Amino acid sequence: MAKVFIYPVNSLILADLVERFGHKPLAVMNQVREKVTNISLDSPPVNITPEDPKVGLRYAAVEVPPGVRGRMALIGPLIEDAEAAIIVEAPPVNFGCVGCNRTNELMKYIVRSKDIPILELRYPETEENAPEFMYKIAAFLESLPREEEK
Amino acid sequence: MTDVKQEEITKVIVISSDKVLPVDAAMKIYESEFPVTVKETCFGLIVTGPAEDVLMVTEEIRKLDKNHIFVKDRGFPAGDERRCRASRGGGPRPGFHFLREEVRMLPAIGAALDELEAKGPVKESPTKKDKLKVSELERIIEAELAR
Amino acid sequence: MSEETGIVKIALVSCGSEYSGVQPEFEAAAAEVNAKFVYPEIDVAGLDNIGREFGLEVASGDLRLMMARAKAVVEGTTHVDGVFITTCFRCAEGAIVRNEVRRYIHKHSNIPVISYSFTERTTAGTLLTRLEALTTVARRRHLLAREVQTGLTAGIDSGSTTTKAVVMRDNEIIGSGWVPTTKVLESAEEAYSLALKEAGVSRDEIQALGTTGYGRFLIGDHFNAQLIQEEITVNSKGAVYLADCQTGPATVIDIGGMDNKAISVDDGIPGMFTMGGICAGASGRFFEMISKRLGVDITELGALAVKGMQEKVTMNSYCIVFGIQSLVNSLAKGAVPEDVAAAACYSVVEQIFEQQLQEVDVKEPLILVGGSSLIEGVPKALGDLLKIDVLVPKSSHLIGAVGAALLASGYVEE
Repeated sequence: MAKVFIYPVNSLILADLVERFGHKPLAVMNQVREKVTNISLDSPPVNITPEDPKVGLRYAAVEVPPGVRGRMALIGPLIEDAEAAIIVEAPPVNFGCVGCNRTNELMKYIVRSKDIPILELRYPETEENAPEFMYKIAAFLESLPREEEK
Repeated sequence: MTDVKQEEITKVIVISSDKVLPVDAAMKIYESEFPVTVKETCFGLIVTGPAEDVLMVTEEIRKLDKNHIFVKDRGFPAGDERRCRASRGGGPRPGFHFLREEVRMLPAIGAALDELEAKGPVKESPTKKDKLKVSELERIIEAELAR
Repeated sequence: MSEETGIVKIALVSCGSEYSGVQPEFEAAAAEVNAKFVYPEIDVAGLDNIGREFGLEVASGDLRLMMARAKAVVEGTTHVDGVFITTCFRCAEGAIVRNEVRRYIHKHSNIPVISYSFTERTTAGTLLTRLEALTTVARRRHLLAREVQTGLTAGIDSGSTTTKAVVMRDNEIIGSGWVPTTKVLESAEEAYSLALKEAGVSRDEIQALGTTGYGRFLIGDHFNAQLIQEEITVNSKGAVYLADCQTGPATVIDIGGMDNKAISVDDGIPGMFTMGGICAGASGRFFEMISKRLGVDITELGALAVKGMQEKVTMNSYCIVFGIQSLVNSLAKGAVPEDVAAAACYSVVEQIFEQQLQEVDVKEPLILVGGSSLIEGVPKALGDLLKIDVLVPKSSHLIGAVGAALLASGYVEE
């Protein structure tokens, strides 16, 4: 079972397919859960506090806006954990934690600079393209090591 | 009273099936008597509860029509007021709309999963063409202008 | 919303605030001014094309969401009393969208807008002035539409360094007083008395009084003022009134005794503004100290500066302490007072450029107000630096008092 980073980080289709083919999706929802169920924090809506953009300094300097660093504090650890990644380019409406394109560029760059298997493909523009989109993902997921790691 | 509370998780179950309706899936959960909270939505269900129970419930639901029922995690528990439109002054929640976009693609994904199950993967089609080189474009324009 | 007291509904049009840890600060500041944030409903299907429609195509989804929300506000899909537009500090894409969305709302609606760029260190306190300005504009919109002073009114601006008062009748300043602020109330009494004396009217004859500046609440209570208003709104109105450019865009730079402000104004209503309050190196105090060191009266400093060349003097710091040390050193090395005075003026405007104008775009006309605008070297240095003609209206040092008297005339019974 491989830990697979997905982009867009909140994608239903990607998270489902990764799980369906026997791997673990590293999705932002799990990070958000950790935040929002932490009762010692009270910083609605996502419980990101001014401490998070400081955590984000690991990924970008102070000159990079706080919104980028705050998002990276959420998503960066997922990338560090990743053993494989699926990046879908040009997804439809993107906002929230993927609403900042600078963060997305940085995120993808960090993924690409890791020595892990990566599948990059475009979001299907029509329904006819969807099967091929799905097959590519399935083939990629099939190629990842399945055996249980220690 | 020394119970260690198990970690609670939330899953979004999206039903894109001709055979199963969200209400059927919800009934299935109610009958199963798992200690989980179920919220029906226009796409399917949101299930919150102890991790183990939620995982078992989602597995059960998926089995109802496995290639047409999709599951993902959700950060916020069902009905959390930090993300509730009513208490947050309206406006879209980021996750909801991306989900709505993806849901439109699910019938095609489901069909592809069916096909994959039936006969294995099909071949990829050729990749997209690169952009025209600037020098090449210049050459063409010059040739056109010279005509 | 009831005119003066009800809850003000403010649309929060933002990118990044939820991910920078500042959202609770926003909400705290809103609660303080009895406002509530709402998030306009939008049509998500339209998000892909909103950039085209708006004419501003950006890559970030949240910035497109801002445009869509602005559209919902303008079209009345979501009813709000004001709009607060905010993006991350240092994000160029965000800054462009922030400014253009503000203009878009201003152009297509009558809804007041304030914009701001935040860092993770932004606190409710910093946001308060902005939201106070926004909510007062929302609550007192009818007052701000006033372009002509009517009746017999007065305004008092209780500043940190000087207290100014004016008496106006039928759109004319007929008396003014300008005194250093010592004790807030006593100085206000003195300035007000001077203005009344020059105008030749008694206190009972004044039909309405407005107060502004640091001491506005104290003196407002004392004199039973009809209007007590923060200086951003008052000075914006006062500046475009004095400069006679009440419609369209304008930029107001106010160099006060202890701080300075840059305000982006549209039709006399403030939109984006920045205030400097930490360092006194870009304030009237700096000029006072340098005049003293040069042995001239502060009223002579400007004329001196105009004759000098700032390039001949090296300034190593903007700091009121170290900057003056640099100037003193250059005097010791033989620099002439004219050049030193010019360098002092240049230092102040350069600081305003580097600090305040980072977030406020400079739309013409540029109106310079506040006591320091009277030092001729200052508008000259500012014009040189920004490559723009700087407008210093008559009575520019009385800006707050004039703005207050003008706005107070809205309370004069017709």
